[in-house]
Amino acid sequence: MAGIWICAEQTGQALELLQAGKNLREAGMAGGLAVLSWPGGPRPEDLGAGGADEVLLLPPPGDGQPLEAFAPAVLEEARKDPPDLMLFAATARGKDWAARIAGGLDAGLCSGCTALRWDSASGTLEMERLLYGGAAVLRIAPLSFPVLAAVLPGTFRSGPLTPGREARIRNLPAPPPSPVTVLERRPKERQGQDVTAARVVVCAGRGFEKPGDLALARELADLLGGALACTRPLSEELHWLPEDLCIGLSGIQVKPELYIGIGVSGQVQHLTGIRGAKLVCAVNRDEQAPIFAAADLGIVGDLYAVLPGLVQALKETTPA
Amino acid sequence: MPVFVACFKWVVDEAYIRRTSAGELDLSSVGYKISDYDRNALEEAARLKESAGGSVVAVTVGIPEATKGVKDALSRGADQAIYAADPSFGTLEASGTATILAEVIRTRVGTYDLILCGEGSSDLYDQQVGIRLAALLGIPCISFVQKLDLEAGRVVAERRLEDGIERVAATLPAVVTLLPDINVPRIPGVKDTLSASRKPVVTIGREELGLPAEPRFRILSLSASRLERQCERFGSDEADLRRFAGALRQKGILR
Ligand SMILES: Cc1cc2nc3c(=O)[nH]c(=O)nc-3n(C[C@H](O)[C@H](O)[C@H](O)COP(=O)(O)OP(=O)(O)OC[C@H]3O[C@@H](n4cnc5c(N)ncnc54)[C@H](O)[C@@H]3O)c2cc1C
Ligand SMILES: Nc1ncnc2c1ncn2[C@@H]1O[C@H](COP(=O)(O)O)[C@@H](O)[C@H]1O
Repeated sequence: MAGIWICAEQTGQALELLQAGKNLREAGMAGGLAVLSWPGGPRPEDLGAGGADEVLLLPPPGDGQPLEAFAPAVLEEARKDPPDLMLFAATARGKDWAARIAGGLDAGLCSGCTALRWDSASGTLEMERLLYGGAAVLRIAPLSFPVLAAVLPGTFRSGPLTPGREARIRNLPAPPPSPVTVLERRPKERQGQDVTAARVVVCAGRGFEKPGDLALARELADLLGGALACTRPLSEELHWLPEDLCIGLSGIQVKPELYIGIGVSGQVQHLTGIRGAKLVCAVNRDEQAPIFAAADLGIVGDLYAVLPGLVQALKETTPA
Repeated sequence: MPVFVACFKWVVDEAYIRRTSAGELDLSSVGYKISDYDRNALEEAARLKESAGGSVVAVTVGIPEATKGVKDALSRGADQAIYAADPSFGTLEASGTATILAEVIRTRVGTYDLILCGEGSSDLYDQQVGIRLAALLGIPCISFVQKLDLEAGRVVAERRLEDGIERVAATLPAVVTLLPDINVPRIPGVKDTLSASRKPVVTIGREELGLPAEPRFRILSLSASRLERQCERFGSDEADLRRFAGALRQKGILR
């Protein structure tokens, strides 16, 4: 049926991509919307209500099989009846899936896709992504179809549901057993606030000397009614904070009213995550730090002296 | 003896990219570097060799100027390098890079046990070359690995996913793509640099490879990201911090 196929681990992510698909169709791109699912995957009834024409239903994953083991079954189906576009939610698994299927189809894959547009006059699918850690924006158009895109969750907003609207179900065959087997799963405990929803984000960088010192940043966040986040070294190398608090190219994108980076140097990969912030502030002892060129208000000074003083000054200007 | 293949890319150092007043990308004063996470791939390969024996082959696809990168890679523990070079390789897409890597590894390395890639390259950050390479070679792939071990005939790895850690095993040969916290890359010393220049390098020209891969995309535009901020500075004395707090208040941030 050509059209658009959507692949996401979670219902919410699939609904976002369904909306992206509906937008393309409204702009004139032809074809139906099909969404992949499996027992434990996105809920078929919600996919129908969210606008899917068809649900491509995979059998439950085999014992000790990673979810990626589905890829060959999807690839086989895509070979038989190629869609024009396949949209993947760019989670770790989604990116793996997308690259495997793109490799199998020898198709183009626009990873980290930030925008999609159908130009009906020229019949062009315009895709946008970042380059050089976010320093550049690249707009491309596929030269061949099918084409794939991996889209970061949160890029599109999901639309309203039509309760009772149903999608056709098409069953896909089970994939062959994967050569990769799962030995153990250690689910992550969800901790902390949702930083992407916070009005104020206080971001700690490597300028902090030890994990206990983050209390200073936390105090500032509490005072401003905000959430604490961090740069990649703090979550990935030092493991002082969980990875879902990491802001930037390989982490989350935030759009708060106020972002304050403390002991953050301001490398482009990090700045990419705060482009949508209304006001950017920074505290850094190095006046040459690149963050100052990317900040509205910058305080040059040692964070260990600035933070207590700043908390004091804020308390004085905040009416009790 | 096991053969470890580390794939690395020689990339523009993004810290030197500027934006012209016309909003164009200014690459005139950039330097180059080994892509950040590929240093982790080279390091992990060197460590595996130190513990399991065998050898490390560093493989790259790049522009002729990348010879400096080849030497850099050899100073990080690799025993030899294979370098596919052509001026046109600077603008390859992930599909094209993976095709060339697959051909080079198949024809020039021959037998290998583990191929190590970074999670993503610093310039394109496509996060797909390693996974596509595995698909092309028809071997298992374990992506987003934070820890790995070799056991008899297989690789056991911890993948970090949004919902937690998944410990998986795959038979060799296999491809792994590595997260940066898997190790701390070494800083090559003078001795490493000296011995690097004595290590064998096989350079392969475009004409020695099969038909070049067709691009899958055309470029509509490439522009510098816009960053417009006020850039107002404050000191750290009490008066300045009060002035800063006042500025936040004035902007309606403080409630
Ligand atoms: C492909 C790729 C993807 C990446 N993705 C991300 C991402 O998503 N998010 C991310 O954050 N990074 C990312 N990075 C890493 C990024 O390039 C930087 O290395 C990182 O953002 C730096 O973190 P930092 O500012 O905390 O540390 P540093 O760069 O080490 O900066 C620390 C700063 O603290 C200042 N400082 C030190 N002591 C004090 C003090 N006492 N008081 C005040 N200031 C002090 C220093 O002057 C310095 O500017 C990525 C890199 C690559 C290659
Ligand atoms: N030109 C290249 N030469 C060798 N290896 C590469 C090249 N491009 C990408 N890779 C490998 O593939 C990984 C992922 O790259 P990418 O898909 O571009 O994000 C990198 O970390 C490298 O290990």
